[in-house]
Amino acid sequence: MAARNSYFNQQVLYDTTPLPGSIPSVKEVGATSAPLLSASYFIGARCRPYNDDYMQCKTENPGKGEFECLKEGRRVTRCAASVVEDINKHCLDEFRKHWQCLDNNNHQLWQCRKPEWKLNKCVYDNLKLEKTIPDSPKDQIPVHLRTRPIYAHYPILRDPGQPPFGKSIDPPSAQAQASAPAS
Amino acid sequence: MPQDMPPTGGYGPVQYKRNLPANGFRPAALVIGMGAIMTYGFYKLAQGTKERNELAREKMWSRIHLIPLLQAEEDRDLVRRHLADQAREKELLGENFKVYNSDRYVRPTFAVTPANVTK
Repeated sequence: MAARNSYFNQQVLYDTTPLPGSIPSVKEVGATSAPLLSASYFIGARCRPYNDDYMQCKTENPGKGEFECLKEGRRVTRCAASVVEDINKHCLDEFRKHWQCLDNNNHQLWQCRKPEWKLNKCVYDNLKLEKTIPDSPKDQIPVHLRTRPIYAHYPILRDPGQPPFGKSIDPPSAQAQASAPAS
Repeated sequence: MPQDMPPTGGYGPVQYKRNLPANGFRPAALVIGMGAIMTYGFYKLAQGTKERNELAREKMWSRIHLIPLLQAEEDRDLVRRHLADQAREKELLGENFKVYNSDRYVRPTFAVTPANVTK
């Protein structure tokens, strides 16, 4: 038995032939699920037009979209990679804290509001990208700004010296507006 | 012989009614209390449902923002494998057979098993 080589293993099954040179290459994003989830709303904020273009192309070319939409796909990937790169450049600490929190909490966004607020603020200050949830009801506080989440395992505790939260915190854009005239 | 007669003044009253102490609140108070507790419970339930809906919306939109990115990466990989397949077929058989009676792209059923270790 020991003399028998394993044949159908992962290593052998890789097909590593690269794309032909006629198709421009693009570096893949290379992020795993938690960083992507953490950055998703910023990717959506900056890359919405590219994403929509790509999805429209795919809808208009059923069954052939894989080949017809390569250009749009490259744009989507470049745009998302630029967002991830910018977040890494400006808000690396906050970003890491948030996605590691997501990794530790089964990717449940509502368990990680505090790191998320810090990340959102940093990203808004540096990149002017803001998390907004489309189609959410206008008469309710957006769910990512509520300070008393019902389903979180632990209540959101204040930092030492921080004034008490109200029912919700302000979105980063409102915070920036409030602090701008004062300074 | 004198007949048996009731005692003078008649018999005493016979106790036939239930004579149990009525413990606890009055029924009206119980109904009102139950109504209050249940109203509060349903109010909390509705709040929770609303928040769950919003959380679901948040999760769904985060996924919507990511789908084009993931799909684009997958598509590029499929195209790469398809073109490599076609080239391999051409090299081995001399021409590319049209296997399906359709122009749609069909994901391959069989994977290549390269003879040499490629990675």
